[in-house]
Amino acid sequence: MDGRRCRPPDRVSDMTLLSINGLDKSFAGARALGGASLEVRAGEVHALMGENGAGKSTLIKVLAGVVKPDAGAIAIDGASVTIGSPADSLRLGLRFIHQELSVVPHLSVAENIFLGRDYPRRWGVMIDWDGLNRRAAAVLAGLGVNHIPPGRKMARLSVGDQMLVKIATAFQDASVEGGAPARLYVMDEPTAALSAEESQRLFAVIRRLRAAGAGIIYVSHRLDEVMELADRLTVLRDGATVATRDIAGLQKLEVIELMIGRRFAEGYPPRLAPVSSEVALNVEGLSTAYLQDVTFEVRKGEILGLAGLEGAGQSEVIRAIVGADGGHDGAVSLAGRPVKIEEPVSAWAKGLAFLPRERRQEGLVSSASIAGNVSLPHLDDLVRFGLVLDRAAEAEQAVDLGRKVKLKSKGPRQKVRELSGGNQQKVVFARAIAGSPDVLLLDEPTRGVDVGARYDIHALLRELTAEGKAVVLASSDLPELVYMADRIIVFRDGKVATTVSTEGLDQAGLAALCFGTPTAPSA
Amino acid sequence: MASALKTYGTLIGFVLVVLFFWIEIPDTFMTAKNWLNISQQVSMLAVVAFTMTIVMVMGDFDLSVGSMASLAGIVAALAFRDGHGVWVGVALALAVGLVGGLLNGALVAYVGILPFVATLGTLTVYSGLAFLVSGGKTIFGRDIPTAFSGFARSGISLTDTVSLPSLTIVAALVLLVVWFTLEQTTFGRRLYAIGGNKEAARLAGIRVRRLRFLAFGLSGLGAATAGLMYASRVASANPTQGSGLMLDAIAAVFLGMTMSEEGEPHVAATLIGVLILGVLGNGLTQMSIDSYVREVLIGSIIVLAVASSSLGKTKG
Repeated sequence: MDGRRCRPPDRVSDMTLLSINGLDKSFAGARALGGASLEVRAGEVHALMGENGAGKSTLIKVLAGVVKPDAGAIAIDGASVTIGSPADSLRLGLRFIHQELSVVPHLSVAENIFLGRDYPRRWGVMIDWDGLNRRAAAVLAGLGVNHIPPGRKMARLSVGDQMLVKIATAFQDASVEGGAPARLYVMDEPTAALSAEESQRLFAVIRRLRAAGAGIIYVSHRLDEVMELADRLTVLRDGATVATRDIAGLQKLEVIELMIGRRFAEGYPPRLAPVSSEVALNVEGLSTAYLQDVTFEVRKGEILGLAGLEGAGQSEVIRAIVGADGGHDGAVSLAGRPVKIEEPVSAWAKGLAFLPRERRQEGLVSSASIAGNVSLPHLDDLVRFGLVLDRAAEAEQAVDLGRKVKLKSKGPRQKVRELSGGNQQKVVFARAIAGSPDVLLLDEPTRGVDVGARYDIHALLRELTAEGKAVVLASSDLPELVYMADRIIVFRDGKVATTVSTEGLDQAGLAALCFGTPTAPSA
Repeated sequence: MASALKTYGTLIGFVLVVLFFWIEIPDTFMTAKNWLNISQQVSMLAVVAFTMTIVMVMGDFDLSVGSMASLAGIVAALAFRDGHGVWVGVALALAVGLVGGLLNGALVAYVGILPFVATLGTLTVYSGLAFLVSGGKTIFGRDIPTAFSGFARSGISLTDTVSLPSLTIVAALVLLVVWFTLEQTTFGRRLYAIGGNKEAARLAGIRVRRLRFLAFGLSGLGAATAGLMYASRVASANPTQGSGLMLDAIAAVFLGMTMSEEGEPHVAATLIGVLILGVLGNGLTQMSIDSYVREVLIGSIIVLAVASSSLGKTKG
């Protein structure tokens, strides 16, 4: 919001930087793109929206020169171009920033920025480290980033700062021999792993790039972010462009409707049953290396939200309860019975289901089938004659639960790596509810999930709580917390800062609590 | 085409090798007698490769199997020399294998040393122990009971001239047990999950450390079994006799892995890997080709097989 106010009004020119027309692409008969068009002007942030599988990634891959389109035209500055390879793309001034960072963690910030380039020398042989750091600092300063010391090891930076360094690197590519200066940045879910604070820092950099006349294609599932940052948006559905709109005056619900092509009365499903008075999970004085004296309780049928800036403790609480990082101080009890959990295996055995934060690294065995992933914590329930795995029962379980979580698949033996992000997350959900747990501990359950799957997951949470299950929901998605949770614990520096009811709480209020802003409304 | 080459390339290669020897050695190669002979020749390698498959399913290695096989043979032979019976010697050797394997498992799973480094260390330790307890000498002759050395020469008669060797039967039994363990039990399913994604497996409630510990124990047990088979076959034990097994076993598992879409080891595929190595050895020997040539060929085949499957992957 501030960005739009700060920007000179005539900044978005009518000069078309990139235009894509009628792009078609099929993979082995399956159509990924069919009539996709996009027009990006110099000096604008253009959001590219769509559900998973709508064709966003294919379109980006075409621009990157990784995928060759079957038909369609691409023009830059009105001149028709062919992007046959990543080198072509670089030469045309296109830069790509992905959510998965490819950095060299053991090298310094400056070395990462100038990787593969000649370092400045002293006496011809020795590297001029001071000179290198000075140059890196200059590049960072060019983006308005002054808080990152160029000599620091990459691994010691936060994910958000690493992302900024990555952008600095893309910026720096301008000086590659034969390369055009960077003019168009394509950012694919750059904030997926960032905290609200880090995101804001990234937005400031994006606004500077825009002010300098660059075009930015911005892909994100986070609607609020897009509404805040972008000037226009283009929505893809089933490989085709359905609309391009100015953000000003656009309603969020309209965007969702454009993306999914069906009307939502509400963005979130309504609560189905009241919260019980029985306590399902009680945590008292939980302390680890990160956490200090965390105490709370969750009742049956309740969704307890955990909020805070990235790394404030919400994720760590969940990991500590299930014993993901070893032991902890403090007491945990389930339905009034004290339990001792030092390893995830005992958490599952005691009726606690855990959905980890990183789907690919921590959630799924991608080489295994849907059924194999769902059954993993519950194999002991699927045994015949003491040790033989009952495959039929395993497949049946996957089919039943797949139906419950609205999983779209070719069958229980399909490999999970062939599924879209949203469907993969549903597999992790199916696993979580397979043992009929009493408490679900969910860490960012809708991160990187498309709008349709997100709605399905939220509806599932309503169903589960109506069945009397207790849910602990750690999320960096503020609207999700505000609309889904009954109460929210706000964490700051590993401690409980406050606990609020979501009654009458809005997103801005919750954000203020996370940042610890003194003007936070008392809830 | 590329994907067919990726999945079936190794199998096609195996068929081609068989066809080649069939044409080159028409009289003796494609006979029941020769194939039973091959099965006996590869039986020790097969046992080690099958149990090696168990640890490689988890993405681990056991480099100590060769020296463990030697050590187990020596232990049995020493027991025989001290006047103990066949079963005592066999039980002692297997116990040494199990304990040695579990030690590997403890180092890898509980201490947290990389399997490559941990088993490289124990490879040397077990080899040193084999020399130490035997005084560096081969134990043979009347020290080895005929009941023990006779086993390798025995078999089930199929016709007047050919019989199914006992060593082949042992290897087949181990194959069956390993196949059942890996493919049919929850234990096996958990090992594959660990190999697919250790962290996800742990967070999904799998006792990763305990399972790695146990799997290395099985690998040690397999190595000791192979050592006993070897000692029985040559009616003697010496501290280096198992040393060739480790590299061939890993090679066989790798050859098998090229046949799986996911690049996962499966024990049935390991069997094909073992047979490729065995048939090459047998055929080239019959053609009186130098054994060094065999090594060059085997090395090239491994690289070729793995290369063709990774090329298929990047294209697919």
